[in-house]
Amino acid sequence: MLVDFELIARAQRGDAAAFNEIVSVYRKRIMGTITRLIARTEDVEDVAQEVFVRLYFSLDQLRTPKVFEPWLYRLTVNAAYDYLRKQRRRHEFRMSDLSEQQVMLADAAAGGKADHEEQQQKRIREAVDSMLGAVSEADRILLMLKEVEGLSLKELEKIYKVNENALKVRLFRARQRVLKAFGANVQRQAG
Amino acid sequence: MYPGDHGNHEQELDALFQAYRKACPDREPGVNFMPGVWQRIEAQQRNTFSFLRMEQLFVTAAAAATLALGVYLYLPQNSSARAGAYQQNYLEALADANSVETPDIVGPLRLDLSQDSNQPGR
Repeated sequence: MLVDFELIARAQRGDAAAFNEIVSVYRKRIMGTITRLIARTEDVEDVAQEVFVRLYFSLDQLRTPKVFEPWLYRLTVNAAYDYLRKQRRRHEFRMSDLSEQQVMLADAAAGGKADHEEQQQKRIREAVDSMLGAVSEADRILLMLKEVEGLSLKELEKIYKVNENALKVRLFRARQRVLKAFGANVQRQAG
Repeated sequence: MYPGDHGNHEQELDALFQAYRKACPDREPGVNFMPGVWQRIEAQQRNTFSFLRMEQLFVTAAAAATLALGVYLYLPQNSSARAGAYQQNYLEALADANSVETPDIVGPLRLDLSQDSNQPGR
């Protein structure tokens, strides 16, 4: 726990300074998690702000400060989920408007500006992002929290408020689907 | 498809996830992050406030309309000008308006017995 219970209790009573302190302590971590969940760096700050706005308006529903971190993770997961759902709809619309050549030219132009390392990181982000297209937004987030964020099943159980076995089954199925997409991608590149 | 089919790719996938973790490190937000959060909070509070105000206005208008309707319904019964009109019931008022002598209601029945009306098929 990065903050003490008293600070959370003060924020719950409407102390703006206490709320500011909570945001300043958690914002870096939350931004990182969102970056990995949504894979689009340009919108991370926007989603992170949304998380803290939701936190502000739901703080009074937090019964005990002990569960603050899973609660904050839950808000983060929900905001990322809402973003991904909107983005998928917008992306489908945007891509249908562009020809393949236009998309390649746009990629090449963007790539030319970035240096080599950034390009490499961008390629990895895009590869994982496209591979995760094989699963639903909800499964994508669950998989990211487990495989990339490194959260344990116990922590996931607190965030999702779901039985550990149900989480295991869901994770297994999501991973199998991603593996299938990964295998297909490897074969396509080899062939 | 069985899990074994993906056996070769399990480690590669784990490595890709680790590379992804490194490609998306934690980062500090910009200087406008905190003001942006407060702007959003205040905007949402304003929206909630204006909704509550509209709700209050609606409740007040509904209460005023109910009161006005109540006064309107109550006043005619006590008004001396209209009191006479409402002291009779419907049948009495109808009988007064159409007395027994009124030919339109109880006048002799007139039958048209002309030739045309007795012909079959008409």
